[in-house]
Amino acid sequence: MSDRSLTQTEVSLNPLSSERVNITIDGISLSVPKGENVIEAALNAGIDIPYFCYHPRLSKGDAANCRMCLVEVASTAPDGSVRKMPKPQTACTLPAAEGMIIDTNTEKINKDRKGVLEFLLINHPLDCPVCDRGGECPLQNNTLYYGASASRFTEEKRHYPKAYPLSAQVVLDRERCIQCARCTRFTDDISGDAQLGLLKRGSDVEVGTFAHTSFNSKFSGNVIELCPVGALTSRTYRFKSRPWDLMTQKSICSKCSNGCNIKLDYRMDEVLRVNARLNEDVNEEWTCDRGKFGHDYISSPDRLKSPLMRKDGKFVEVSWHQAYSLLADKLRAAGTNCGAIAGGRTTNESVYLLQKLFREILGSNNLDCRLDSNPLPASDPLFKKSLQTGMGNKIADLEKMKTIMVIGSDLQDEQPILFLRVRKAWRFKGAKVVYVSDHLTTDSTAVSDFASVNLIYQPGSEITVLKDLENALARVLSANTADSEPPAQLNTQPSEATGLSNNDIHLAASLLAKGEITIIAGKSVSQHSQYVELYQSLTNLLASTNSEGNLNIPVHECNSLGTMDMGMLPGSGPGFTKCAGGMGTAEMLQASADGNLQVLWVMGADPVQNFHNNELAVRGIENCPFLVVSELTLTETAKRADLVLPAVSIAEQEGTFTSCEGRVQKLFKAFEPVGSSKPDWLIVAELSAILGAKNLYFTFNDVLQSISKEVPGYEKINPGTIGDQGIFRTVPAAG
Amino acid sequence: MAILNLLFEHRDVEGIGNIDVWEANGGYEGVRKAAALEPQVIVDEIKTSGLRGRGGAGFPTWIKWNGLPKNYDAPHYVLCNADEGEPGTFKDRELILKIPHLLIEGMILAGFATYSKVGYVYIRGEYVEPAWQLRKAIDQAYAKGYLGKNILGTGRDFDIYIHMGAGSYECGEESALMSSLMGERGNPRLKFPHAPLPTVAGVWQAPTLINNVETYCAAAWIIKHSGEEYAKYGTEKSKGTKIMSVSGHVARTGNYEIEMGTPLMELLNMAGGVKDGVLKAVIPGGSSVQIMRPEQCEKINLDYESCGANGTLLGSGGFMVFNDKTDIVQLMRRTSQFYMHESCGKCTPCREGTRWLFKILDRIASGNGQKGDVELLLDVCSQIDGRSYCGLGDAAAWPIVGAIKAFRSEFDYWIEHKRSPIGNTFVPPVVEAVNPVLALTSV
Repeated sequence: MSDRSLTQTEVSLNPLSSERVNITIDGISLSVPKGENVIEAALNAGIDIPYFCYHPRLSKGDAANCRMCLVEVASTAPDGSVRKMPKPQTACTLPAAEGMIIDTNTEKINKDRKGVLEFLLINHPLDCPVCDRGGECPLQNNTLYYGASASRFTEEKRHYPKAYPLSAQVVLDRERCIQCARCTRFTDDISGDAQLGLLKRGSDVEVGTFAHTSFNSKFSGNVIELCPVGALTSRTYRFKSRPWDLMTQKSICSKCSNGCNIKLDYRMDEVLRVNARLNEDVNEEWTCDRGKFGHDYISSPDRLKSPLMRKDGKFVEVSWHQAYSLLADKLRAAGTNCGAIAGGRTTNESVYLLQKLFREILGSNNLDCRLDSNPLPASDPLFKKSLQTGMGNKIADLEKMKTIMVIGSDLQDEQPILFLRVRKAWRFKGAKVVYVSDHLTTDSTAVSDFASVNLIYQPGSEITVLKDLENALARVLSANTADSEPPAQLNTQPSEATGLSNNDIHLAASLLAKGEITIIAGKSVSQHSQYVELYQSLTNLLASTNSEGNLNIPVHECNSLGTMDMGMLPGSGPGFTKCAGGMGTAEMLQASADGNLQVLWVMGADPVQNFHNNELAVRGIENCPFLVVSELTLTETAKRADLVLPAVSIAEQEGTFTSCEGRVQKLFKAFEPVGSSKPDWLIVAELSAILGAKNLYFTFNDVLQSISKEVPGYEKINPGTIGDQGIFRTVPAAG
Repeated sequence: MAILNLLFEHRDVEGIGNIDVWEANGGYEGVRKAAALEPQVIVDEIKTSGLRGRGGAGFPTWIKWNGLPKNYDAPHYVLCNADEGEPGTFKDRELILKIPHLLIEGMILAGFATYSKVGYVYIRGEYVEPAWQLRKAIDQAYAKGYLGKNILGTGRDFDIYIHMGAGSYECGEESALMSSLMGERGNPRLKFPHAPLPTVAGVWQAPTLINNVETYCAAAWIIKHSGEEYAKYGTEKSKGTKIMSVSGHVARTGNYEIEMGTPLMELLNMAGGVKDGVLKAVIPGGSSVQIMRPEQCEKINLDYESCGANGTLLGSGGFMVFNDKTDIVQLMRRTSQFYMHESCGKCTPCREGTRWLFKILDRIASGNGQKGDVELLLDVCSQIDGRSYCGLGDAAAWPIVGAIKAFRSEFDYWIEHKRSPIGNTFVPPVVEAVNPVLALTSV
């Protein structure tokens, strides 16, 4: 598998030449990089060439099959004579060469376009009035611009049963398919599961999976957006709406820490589908299936619509006034004897105000946002160092690396967008990948599929593996031979302790020795009991290859990094500044279990389900004298609360998330909150006002400006600068 | 100008497939001779001979041979296209079946000339017998030291592997053949100028030489004798001989090796003339080329230029003769059915167009033709020809355009009278290729 790379010349594989050539398109003289695709040169110059199968992010080896982008091409010889190529050529695969003369709008080309469209439509069912794609369909658009008004085809069309279920999410209509192979190329080039293929031949060609298995991919939703017709449709969106009936709002995915830019397509207060939003530096134009299909909770009927108060063991709906009065009374009575746990899915604004409320008004320092087992106390300098930095590289820079080491992570699952970047680096940029893990996954795509070396060690031997790797790297570097031939004396027998042979370790070390490397470490490292030693080993590896700083230990929830930045940690204030210590999650739960914590506020978190020590979480939550939970639905924790405050989803509020790479991105409000629910930050702001806060906040912008003023690293972030692609928060230099 | 057995010189010698008999008849002399030659000398000899590719396109062979990098730094490959699928052509079958050592010689020489160490013979899956014969011959050549390491003490290595196709016409197209050989779907690949030439980046992105069986056989003959001697035969631009596979309504079908430039009618007479009637039409170069009327046949000489000048092609030499009891419309219907079935489905014009062409022709030939159908056929052909990804689309369109040009009245007759102008009303049943394999559960 690891040797499988592109078998046809790739523009993106060979970076565009710095040499410029002069070409003429429709009489317009252009100077473009040598070898650039003519279609890209034309589109950049604003000259329209219609296409279906071409896609800038997919390999061109299997493109040029729709024949829509045919252009007339002539070449100029050095002596000035012009020679016309006898056949029209596909612009999507034609590399620009000096003196090329291209015509895109001749009578002949217009006839060819008509011809291709006629061919595409003879077997197309023309069921646009009921098709999901109708209104945003390239086939429709191109037919209107370039096609003939009537078909001359009087024979019977090809027929297939409708709605073939490729997977639980993706439904295939083979009658609408135009066999452009975009979806099959996506699974080959981008996601790597290589599950979709073209079956049969000639006019019987159809998209399908081998042996009719389910299209089991973590990125399957993208093919729906890639499909230039309505052949691939989403199970959840199918027949729900027409595109022109939908409103669209920009948003940020809340399903992991990668911070994918998405579009929420909604009608009234119902999100009907999620599409990717272009951000070249984050997700390009992809989403993972969790992001694409996982936002149904926004419009769930289970959403809480008003505050719930426990009376005689049962929840009763109350007004916000009653809820605030009760909560304010309880907090006043508790004094400093209260605490808060915020989850990694709450916005920066909510968390910022929450810690302000507790620290400044209530005088309590019992704040935490961590539910994972974390080996380091928040006051440890290494904790600050490794978590505040999070990722040493930006996501977009991962593809520039020569060697990428992924350790202790099912990357496709933990960090799907990072996975796509790593795969892109390997497939299109020639990077080598070293995979270190204690297991191989059964997922349809994984780093191990394309890694040059897979070091699968015995569970528990991480420290030894990294030490071995350090030694091997030192040996390789001192011998100054980065070749992959191991010295003869190395034995190929797996060692008992780690399960790895010296040979494999040497191969990995010689890859690491070759150039600038980057390391991506996953949960198995960040939650390891000997995290400090592992961290030291990884930094040593980087130091010996002059790649200091390229250590990436991404966080896992969409705003984990933001909540920590905002100071939701015991002993660590906004921007990781030192402040008075307090209790962490475990201590709070313990104190609560012992009846020593009067009020516990859980915001956007579910310790009963997600805390690593479930037994403690249940005891702490159930024994808490007064538990207040702000949540979207009645979670396991909320069910045990004394007061439940209805919060809002990403679609109903403005707010910011800080992604794992430190990019602060804005959520835009799509529609009004359901029922009387309120954004978390507003709940906290109103309660703070009741409790006598001096600074009052009325809008999201007020809070963001306050963050900008008070949180180190967020100075540049304010409503005017954040834009819709986000900007990076800064990490203050060491100290 | 007549029959000229150069490649077929020893075809009928008893046991010629055996290497001992072959050597006794001067076999492997060329290889022994070439062992002492510089690679460039071999290429120059091919250049002198004026040999052009015998697979159909007639591209000058030496240019390909000269195009590969001249060193052993990276692997090069020699590919032999034995995926002989063109309807009407069966010359490679006889060459491999009767005189396999000639092909092996040719490939060894190509290996020497292009600094290649590995050769692949891509044989169509149906050619089981020839493949066995070639297997035996290769084993014998290994045993005698003509293949393997350090051939004849020259220090050069060459290995030949056989790869059986899986039954696709498309895989005879050189780029699709390379896809298939690499284990990919047998789809054509991008060609120059969209991608480098095979001689720069072919199979596995390595420099690759790909030629037809007959071309390698001719090259072996040329090196054994000399390029000059080969160039003595044929016309000014078409040198040497061509093997014509004669079939159809003739008395003696079979492979005839003729000198280039032999008049078409002479070949017809050699084959014993038209059987059961008078001459109605000839397809001179395989089913993809334009059909010729008798009066055109009189003017054609069998070489690249004369065929081209008369609006047809010499192609791969699939010489098909039809007597006056042939219904041209039904002939075209069957031809278009073949191309519909063999289209790989990659590009729009070929995938959709071949099916449409067949549907129209099938409709005409079952008595449902409509006025304007002929114009529609011509228009559909013009939308396929030159617009498809590879040559298969062109090959599907040419014969129909040619047939309409030569026998327009028969199409009109069918449409007007709903029956055959020949009187033969039998129409073979339609075999629809559509049989969906996906599980047909609707939701």
